[in-house]
Amino acid sequence: MKATLAPSSLTFTSLPYSSSFHSSSSSLLFRCPSSSASMTTTTRGNVAVAAAATSTEALRKGIAEFYNETSGLWEEIWGDHMHHGFYDPDSSVQLSDSGHREAQIRMIEESLRFSGVTTDEEEEKKIKKIVDVGCGIGGSSRYLASKFGAESIGITLSPVQAKRANDLAAAQSLAHKVSFQVADALEQPFEDGKFDLVWSMESGEHMPDKAKFVNELVRVVAPGGRIIIVTWCHRNLSEGEKALQPWEQNLLDRICKTFYLPAWCSTDDYVHLLQSHSLQDIKCADWSENVAPFWPAVIRTALTWKGLVSLLRSGMKSIKGALTMPLMIEGYKKGVIKFGIITCRKPL
Amino acid sequence: MRLITHNMLSCNIKGVTNGFPLRIEAGNVIKKEVDFNPDFIRHMFAKLEWKALVEGARSMGYAELPEDSPDAAVLESDESFLKKLHHALLELHLEEGALVCPETGRKFPVNKGIPNMLLHEDEV
Repeated sequence: MKATLAPSSLTFTSLPYSSSFHSSSSSLLFRCPSSSASMTTTTRGNVAVAAAATSTEALRKGIAEFYNETSGLWEEIWGDHMHHGFYDPDSSVQLSDSGHREAQIRMIEESLRFSGVTTDEEEEKKIKKIVDVGCGIGGSSRYLASKFGAESIGITLSPVQAKRANDLAAAQSLAHKVSFQVADALEQPFEDGKFDLVWSMESGEHMPDKAKFVNELVRVVAPGGRIIIVTWCHRNLSEGEKALQPWEQNLLDRICKTFYLPAWCSTDDYVHLLQSHSLQDIKCADWSENVAPFWPAVIRTALTWKGLVSLLRSGMKSIKGALTMPLMIEGYKKGVIKFGIITCRKPL
Repeated sequence: MRLITHNMLSCNIKGVTNGFPLRIEAGNVIKKEVDFNPDFIRHMFAKLEWKALVEGARSMGYAELPEDSPDAAVLESDESFLKKLHHALLELHLEEGALVCPETGRKFPVNKGIPNMLLHEDEV
């Protein structure tokens, strides 16, 4: 099972995260090693040769280029929130464009509610600083900064996104409350414990080292602050199951290529990672049913005249991304892909 | 990049213990007016690293802030102080320049107002 990373055409074997995760010396297997090439073996005997430093660099570069190319297209058609909408399960109503935008806002509100942030006014007032990890063009940051009257800092690997995010903030008279930087979620340029709310809306799937990602989220959250992770996961493994089925892994691998994703993990994996830190109120939920209308809607917009023309203008990465979207639907339908939320609180 | 953001940024190169605050090398600083909102300024004050703000403002050409962090009481009564704080935090923009790690001297470039804080492979 190989995933090829464009543009440098390095190959690496994607590891079944969950199988390796539960062993005590497992953390290495998550990593794209930062020094010389190393060999690791999975429990199924696959040899993963990581061409070390260059594979993380290649992924980072791939992600940046992917979003540099596709963000404008997405914004033109879907607006400034680059995440799934939240819908009532089994809603068969064909939604309008504005219906989907509302669903994207609802996704933010439901996430805040689930984590307990919007439980009461006192809790809300405590939020003064927010970090938006993997901020896209800043939709969440602007929304949250407005809602809480707080300062939000967003980080993204894409300079195009950061620039667009800042421009949109200026246009919405929010430039004093939000700012966007090019930075790596795995090496966040902040001191410890600075943020009352640590927000990761559909960025976790890009992180090659989930343990390091969670470490950083935990490091930068302030005592009493909350972490909200909303992300694509694969299904939880059953008792005794060491890995996904080969056909499941194959499906995910094909998605990984075009969306610049490293290997997937499960919601359980995130919960275990958070449990390894001293955190309170760790909660998770499966919202797969609540996002079901999303990908069909995205495909419908791609197939409109405007969508097709924009795709052709955007470039190969966008086109390949669009062609991969049916795989997301397949993944959800077959129960391989899950849309998860995981939240927690750092003790005072 | 405004100073309200600079106040949050630090260098996280592996092994660095003293990565804050970043020194500012100001290439091109511009002033952009922002509506004065005293409540927002008061709200932000408690969590500001004062010394970093004063030094940063000086690097950007603004030396009107007091060396020492004033009492919270000043926030309530002194509107001219609040306006100076507002100006320093929100209206000065570093468009081109660099943020420099105080410990290693590593420069993080700022282009078109956006700091690039990505580390190189040998820095993680």
